[in-house]
Amino acid sequence: MTQPVSSHPTSVDLLVLHTLRCIGFSSLPGVARATGLPESDVESELIDLGVAGLVTHTAGDFGGWNLTEDGRASDAERIAAEVTAAGARVRLTAAFDRFLVLNPELLDLCTAWQTRTLGGAMTMNDHSDPSYDARVLDRFMEFHQRAEPLCAELSATLLRFQRYPVRLADALARAKAGSLEYIADSTSSYHTVWFQLHEDLLATLGIPRH
Amino acid sequence: MTWIHPLSAEVEETADVLGGKAHGLVVLSRLELPVPPGFVISTEACRAFLRTGRLPSGLDAQLAAAVAGLEAATHRRLGGPERPLAVSVRSGGSVSMPGMMSTVLNVGLTTEATTALADETGDLRFALDSRLRFLTGFASGVVGVGPGSLAGIDRVLGGHDTDTSCLAEAIQVVEHLIEERGGGTVPEDATRQLELAVAAVFSSWNTPRAKTYRELHGIPHGLGTAVTVQMMVFGNRDQRSGTGVAFSRDPSTGEHVPFGEALFGRQGEDVVSGTSLTEPLSELSDREPAVWSRLLSALTRVEEYYRDACYVEFTFEAGELWILQVRPGRFIGRAAVRVAVDLADAGTIGRDEALLRVSPQDLTHVRTPRITTTEPHDLFTRGLGASPGVAVGQVATSAASAVRLAAGGPVVLMRPETSPLDMHGLAAAAGVVTARGGPSSHAAVVARSMGKPAVVGAVSLTVDVAEGCVRAGGRTLPEGTLIAVDGTGGEVVVGEPRVVTSGSDPQLYRLLDWADDVAGDATTDRDETERLTSAQALLRSGDACGAPG
Repeated sequence: MTQPVSSHPTSVDLLVLHTLRCIGFSSLPGVARATGLPESDVESELIDLGVAGLVTHTAGDFGGWNLTEDGRASDAERIAAEVTAAGARVRLTAAFDRFLVLNPELLDLCTAWQTRTLGGAMTMNDHSDPSYDARVLDRFMEFHQRAEPLCAELSATLLRFQRYPVRLADALARAKAGSLEYIADSTSSYHTVWFQLHEDLLATLGIPRH
Repeated sequence: MTWIHPLSAEVEETADVLGGKAHGLVVLSRLELPVPPGFVISTEACRAFLRTGRLPSGLDAQLAAAVAGLEAATHRRLGGPERPLAVSVRSGGSVSMPGMMSTVLNVGLTTEATTALADETGDLRFALDSRLRFLTGFASGVVGVGPGSLAGIDRVLGGHDTDTSCLAEAIQVVEHLIEERGGGTVPEDATRQLELAVAAVFSSWNTPRAKTYRELHGIPHGLGTAVTVQMMVFGNRDQRSGTGVAFSRDPSTGEHVPFGEALFGRQGEDVVSGTSLTEPLSELSDREPAVWSRLLSALTRVEEYYRDACYVEFTFEAGELWILQVRPGRFIGRAAVRVAVDLADAGTIGRDEALLRVSPQDLTHVRTPRITTTEPHDLFTRGLGASPGVAVGQVATSAASAVRLAAGGPVVLMRPETSPLDMHGLAAAAGVVTARGGPSSHAAVVARSMGKPAVVGAVSLTVDVAEGCVRAGGRTLPEGTLIAVDGTGGEVVVGEPRVVTSGSDPQLYRLLDWADDVAGDATTDRDETERLTSAQALLRSGDACGAPG
């Protein structure tokens, strides 16, 4: 894959740390999928980050890898330094504005997928009407076409954003092929990836969630 | 071609031409209820605009005449140096597309008119607050400035303790933003402001979001929207002013008591956007009894007219009530059944019509568990139901404590809003409550995907993670407190309340008895949906067995 030379690359340890920061509590395969790196590489990085006190692993039903308080502070500092070093703040801020225009559209689409409005009232979509589901999927395809230029702009600014268009396109292709959980249900669904992109933009620009 | 029609009782055009909102305002005028004077630019003008990209010829002259008429009726001048007239410019197609199109309020508040408004009212803060509202509406609706850039401005608005220098500063920031985003300088010509606002509302018919909405709901793309222009009534005028929404009956139970919320000292957009702390509607009875009693009688009048539960949006300015929108309530589930049965009992509609008003989906909804018989003091907070069902569990204020407490039994996760970092807490929880967000927020989408009851936008809720407690309405609940969440009605209740499911609904039994009378079939082994739909089929074909009602 060719990328403009101006796009700023991220070191692998920061990439793993920051990905975990944006996806939250996750299994090793989850972090590997989100970063696009082999599991063995990711595990090695997580162990090093764990030794440095930046991430921790919890066992149990809802267990997995997660950042420590130190990890969050370190990530915030290093990600902010990366934005400054890449001179990317203005472009990212403009891109975030575009994201915020698309975001309600995507959430509308997810809501349309999960619920139906009949006689003006909201009711859960039981997916018994293939023509309705097909119409919503069509709108997802159309939405994705408009989201792609934004993803390209982000990737051209900071290389690490290039995972999002790949993961979004993958989710959509799977949904289109009949795995409907890839719209909003699965941990690799279109909504989940978009939600993580939202979190990433907030974290990258240092904007608190209120 | 007549592009513009007055908002008056005599207007005979249909909602296809006037749009649903303006048509409702004409109905209100016929009922002699208080509607701010104004006029409506028809959907035909929008269609012409969408075809050619400009306002149709002849519209400018008609607009000038309509404005002159409005000036004469109000004894004010649009953007005038004394007694200035400001107007609201709202979208409204023949089919409702809530929140999809633009609205620009406080149009006509040029710098000069703002000064005049301050002189007239002796309240500079109010005048600047209104000018700032105009500018933010103009920036987002006309210039297309994104919500990210305008974030923070809404925090300046509406606070009666916000000082005027703070407002003046925010005004400069927005003016600068508009210029920077290619909007040029904001016109100081009020008529030009109005033309731009009208064109912007027409254009908003074709935003991607609006197009998607139409695709999904099967609404033809060629309809276009009407534009309603009315004298502004200022809910942000003073502490005897405000805004709100009201249902003539409780939309969650169907009970015949008015239900809704009010927001003092603010304009209507603040209620709909859910950014501000609203009060229960009944608060009006203490603080503004005259407004309250007029509102109650207005609700009765519109119910008589529509012969159904109704919804209104209203504003009160210095103790005077104005109705800004009306439509039938569109209740669902148990509430739809109850309203239909109650209206038939009252003789407002016949039993046959009651049967036809309830849909098979409503019966599905009746089977959704709901919290019932809530004592007022048990209600902790209330938001919007975003994922149906009832969850009962211990309060958890973070994903980590949700996971920890879930080892000992069910948990309800309560968060300001959710981020991906809350996902494992959501997975561990039986239900979720968020202070912010609407039915299309990330939290709502995730809760529905996991099939967990959810309440979002419980604006009175604050979550104190450091202290491990939640607060609302003057009460504090520590983590571990047992609460219940109703993801249909949006109630959050302390303790373990009674929960109803199908089979214990007296109104439903009666409705189904009526259905059996119509069908002439009292065999009890048929399921509820079949009993209803067979009666409906007979009623629609005019072949009913008896003559019910």
